[in-house]
Amino acid sequence: MSDAPRSGPHKVLLACYALFAVAAGARALVQLTTQYDDAPVAYWLSLGAAITYVLGWWAIRQASVGRTGFASVMLWIELAGVLTVGTLSLVEPAWFPDASVWSEFGIGYGFVPAMLPVAGLLWLRRQKRDAA
Amino acid sequence: MPSVSTQVTWIVVGYAALVSLLALVLALRHRERPAWLDQMAWMLELLLVVRALAGLTAFRGAGPDSVSTYVGYLIASVCVLPLAMKSVEGDRAVWSSAVVAVAAVAVGVIAVRLEMTA
Repeated sequence: MSDAPRSGPHKVLLACYALFAVAAGARALVQLTTQYDDAPVAYWLSLGAAITYVLGWWAIRQASVGRTGFASVMLWIELAGVLTVGTLSLVEPAWFPDASVWSEFGIGYGFVPAMLPVAGLLWLRRQKRDAA
Repeated sequence: MPSVSTQVTWIVVGYAALVSLLALVLALRHRERPAWLDQMAWMLELLLVVRALAGLTAFRGAGPDSVSTYVGYLIASVCVLPLAMKSVEGDRAVWSSAVVAVAAVAVGVIAVRLEMTA
């Protein structure tokens, strides 16, 4: 905790990841427990998104103190997830009778889910350059 | 005449928009986070508490369509800002204002969702 740098853009990223972890996680749990049969694939994918945000939050926290290894993998996984689920929701709408967090590249959240990993990777690139 | 909680929601949304806009301007101008932004954020939190208390009236009668969703938004509406302020405690540098901006946008959205799910 104490070795985390006091300020920087990662604070904003961490706030966004925490917010989305809670939002996606709560949404997935409510939908999986109360309306599972409506769109199980979409709801499980939402839970996957929530787990990705938790791991992403941890990855950025680690990267902010110089340990960039995990973030280099995790943020790409997140970007791939958003792009895959976003594309699937458009080409296979039958799999998504109800929306998932990453449906249509996160349209339900103002496309922030598509922007977050990109912002994270840009920050990470600068972070690595500064560390070098 | 809209209900009291609906009226409070619009006050919350307007004030949250103001707080996020000012926080964003401060961040873009590379200023340190001034004390008055914290005061505005806590004022917003006070409004959110009032909104949450008014929101309890939704449980009268048939109640909200999805109780778990509504309760989730109710809890989130009062927790997000204090957690965000805690995360920038002791950090008055430029990026801390951007955190306040993100949190203010989030509670504004949550307030609207609260209204929609009541």
